[in-house]
This record gives sequence, C-alpha cells and structure tokens, in this order.
Amino acid sequence: MTSFARVVSRFYGEYTNNTSRKLKIIDAYLFYVLLTGIIQFAYCCLVGTFPFNSFLSGFISCVSSFVLAVCLRLQVNWQNKSQFSKISPERGFADFIFGHIVLHLVVVNFIG
Amino acid sequence: MFFKSLRDRGYTLTFKLADDSSLLLSKYGEFLFDHLIIFAPSVEEFGGAVSVEAITDFIDGGGNVLVAGSSMSGDVLRELTSECGFEIDEEGASVIDHLNYDVNDNGKHTLIVADTSNLIDASVIVGKKDELAPLLYQGTGLIADVDNPLVLQLLTASSSAYSYIPDQPLKEYPHAVGKNTLLIAALQARNNARVVFSGSLYFFSDEAFTSPVQKALGGKHYTTSGNKDVAIALTKWVLKETGVLKVKSVSHHRQGEKTPPQSYTIMDTVVFSLELERKTNHGWIPHDADDVQLEFVRIDPFVRTKLVRKSPGSYKAVFKIPDVYGVYQFKVDYNRIGYTAIYSSTQVSVRPLEHTQYERFIPNAYPYYASAFSMMVGVFLFSIVFLHFKEDSVKSKAE
Repeated sequence: MTSFARVVSRFYGEYTNNTSRKLKIIDAYLFYVLLTGIIQFAYCCLVGTFPFNSFLSGFISCVSSFVLAVCLRLQVNWQNKSQFSKISPERGFADFIFGHIVLHLVVVNFIG
Repeated sequence: MFFKSLRDRGYTLTFKLADDSSLLLSKYGEFLFDHLIIFAPSVEEFGGAVSVEAITDFIDGGGNVLVAGSSMSGDVLRELTSECGFEIDEEGASVIDHLNYDVNDNGKHTLIVADTSNLIDASVIVGKKDELAPLLYQGTGLIADVDNPLVLQLLTASSSAYSYIPDQPLKEYPHAVGKNTLLIAALQARNNARVVFSGSLYFFSDEAFTSPVQKALGGKHYTTSGNKDVAIALTKWVLKETGVLKVKSVSHHRQGEKTPPQSYTIMDTVVFSLELERKTNHGWIPHDADDVQLEFVRIDPFVRTKLVRKSPGSYKAVFKIPDVYGVYQFKVDYNRIGYTAIYSSTQVSVRPLEHTQYERFIPNAYPYYASAFSMMVGVFLFSIVFLHFKEDSVKSKAE
C-alpha cells in the first residue's frame, strides 16, 4: 500500500515537473471530455435507449473528441518528435480542427 | 316442364341429339352457347366436334354445364366427371335405400326419397330447404374427391343408402355407402364456371316433378315432390342467375383525406372501403354480409382485419400500417359456398419516414444535445487557449 502511494506521488511529481504546460492543457480537455462521456453513458443506462440516435451521436462525439485530442497530444509531444518529424505542431493542430469540423457536422446531422 | 321453366326465364334453347354429327361447341374460337345441358346418360361418344376435351375447354372458358346421368352412364360422362373431381359408380349400379324408398317403388328400392335435410346448407343453390317436400331420386351414386375444395356436395343420400347393382347379390363392399353417396354434386371452378352433375336424369323428369311422395315405411304423404323447386333453384344457380358477386368499387386513402396518396408512410392510418354487389333478376343489388375480411399483405399478411359494414353492401376498414416498409397489397379474398369467389387485390407502396418526419427535440434526448454542443464549445475554447498559450510560449522563448 505504501509502495502504491509512493508510485502515485512519484508519478504526480514527474507529471507536474516534466510535462509541458501545453500538454497539461490538452490533458485537462481530455478529462473534461471523458467526464461528459461517462455522464452520458450513465444517463443512458438510467433512462433507456429511446432516442437511440441521439445517444449514439452524443456519445460518439465524446469518444471521437477524445480520440482526436489524444492524437493531437501525440503529435504535439516533443518526446515523439522522431516519429512525427514531418508533421509540425501547427499542422497537427490544423488536422485536429479539420477532424472536429467533419465530426460535428456528422453529429448534428445524426442527433435528430 | 323442366325446359319450359328455362324458356319462361328467357333462355333460348337449342336441342341436339347427343350423337348428332354436327355438334359444335365453339366456332372460330368463340363459344356458340353460354351454357350446356347434357341429358344423355348412356351416350358412349358424342357426335360431331364435341368431346370431353371440348367440354372441359368450354368450362375453362367460363361456360356452365348441367349433366344428368343414370344407372347406365356412358364412358364420356365418366371421363367428364372425373375431370370435374367426382366419380360415377360402376355401370348398372343404383342408389339403393331399404328404409327411405317411395311407395311407388317397383320392389328394388331404387326409387328413393331424399330428405331435404340432406341438401347442402346453402339457400343460394337449393332454395329454402326447410320448406321443401322430399325429393324423388332414381339413379346412380357419385363419389366426390374429398380433398377437392371446389366440389360441393349438393345432395347426399341418407345414412342407410348404398350404391350397388340392384339385381346382384352383394358380394363386395359397395363403392359408396351412406352419406358418402352423393346424389347431386357440383363444381365451381376457379374461373367461377359452374358444373352440376346429377346421378339421376329422372330427378328432372315431369314424372318426378308431379308425382306424390310418401316414404313406404310409414312416411308423411306429400302431394308433389320437391324436385321441381330444387331443380329450378339449381338451374338458377348453375346458369349463374343467382349467387354471382362482384366488386363494385375499391378505394383507399389516408384517414382524413379523400384521394389515395402516391405512397403511404409507415404508421399511417389507412381507410379501405369496398362495395360488393350481387346479381338478381332485377340487376345488381348491394350484397349484404358481415364476414368480409381484408388482408394487408407483403408476402405474408401483416394486417388481417374485418371489413365493417357501413351500409348494405358497403364495407370499410380502418387500420394502422405496420412499422415495416415495402410493397403491400390490399387483398379481399371472399369465398362462400354458393357464391362466386371474389378476389380483389390493390397494390400500394409503403415508404419509411422522410428525414424531416422524424420526431425532434425529444425531452429525453436533451442531455445528449447538451453534450454534443458542449463538445463543440469545448473544442472552440480549447483551441483559443491552446493557440494563445502557444503564442505566449513562443514570445517567452523569443524574450
């Protein structure tokens, strides 16, 4: 138990010290998206799947936002520079925005 | 008397001998007659161009046939009856009933008295059977193919009757025994052509029409037999004077509208109306019934409902189209004993909801709407923060 607490505190310390603030902003955004998705799923379990298309589009919009944000985070992270040498952070962000535009068009169309 | 009754009802009769060499049913592909009456029991072969095939063609073409046989029926009649779904008993065989024979019988008990309770339960064909005197019958028995739904057993023998050759000792089991022995049988073909076969020519004779009836074993005395009434009712039926139905009109539309739409949408409420008419001597009158059904069919019936009578002869059904789209048919399939079969089908298409017809702004779904929009707002705010932060960091690096 103590070792687990040590691991957590070590992890927290590493995170606060060694992670750039840009990534921390993305992480905060990810946490917000995750929370929204969980709330929706819980609501669906409580109320039932009646407007199923609405549930799907709301939930999928959360999942996709999460995925897109994770992708952005991978591309922006300087530790992964070797893998994304040809893609600048600006290009990554533009892809992120483009993905979101397509996603939200689909979501609004499907939400009924 | 039999032919006189026909003539009185406005028919033009043409009499020909069965072996006349100029017999002809159709000329240049058109039938020369509307109806055919064969009162030639013992004929072995017709003359001229009339054969069993010609007669079955005549029936297939919608012609009505009345045939009377006797205990000495010839081969052509046997072939013809087997084409129509029943059989004549062996040559020489008569229907014998040792309990229900007439007082005028010659000792062989073949002049039998058929109770009217043995008539088919259809007043369209045989008239009101409760008011009729018993029937005189002398002739052969018929056996019907029980699997054939088109064959009607118009008059059966009583349960004590059997069909056998009267002069011979009974060696083997008779072909027809009891109620299975048919005296008069009918066939209404799928094209509504009607064929009536009587095993007795005597049934239609003047003698049978006028003679008194009394069962030999202590029966009630009737001054005249019921043969004439039944024969007239029977000919009216077989010559399609009675029992002919037709669909006058079919209409369908959405509830609250007047005209049928191009196509229905699933879950629509549909109003289907039908008008039936029946032929009488005075023209077509509305046919009143309370057992007409409507089916809404896409391969299988999806809806089967009763057509409610609104006014005599006019029926209406209101029902909701199921939540399944496709090409459907309104089907009315009405088969009743004694009436011509009615089959009406109207094809309509049922399409799914249009994109704009779905329900909007369902209260249950508001959290989903909220979350979807919060995702958009979220990505917008995130972009602003993200971009501004980047600039800051660039600036700080530059500094």
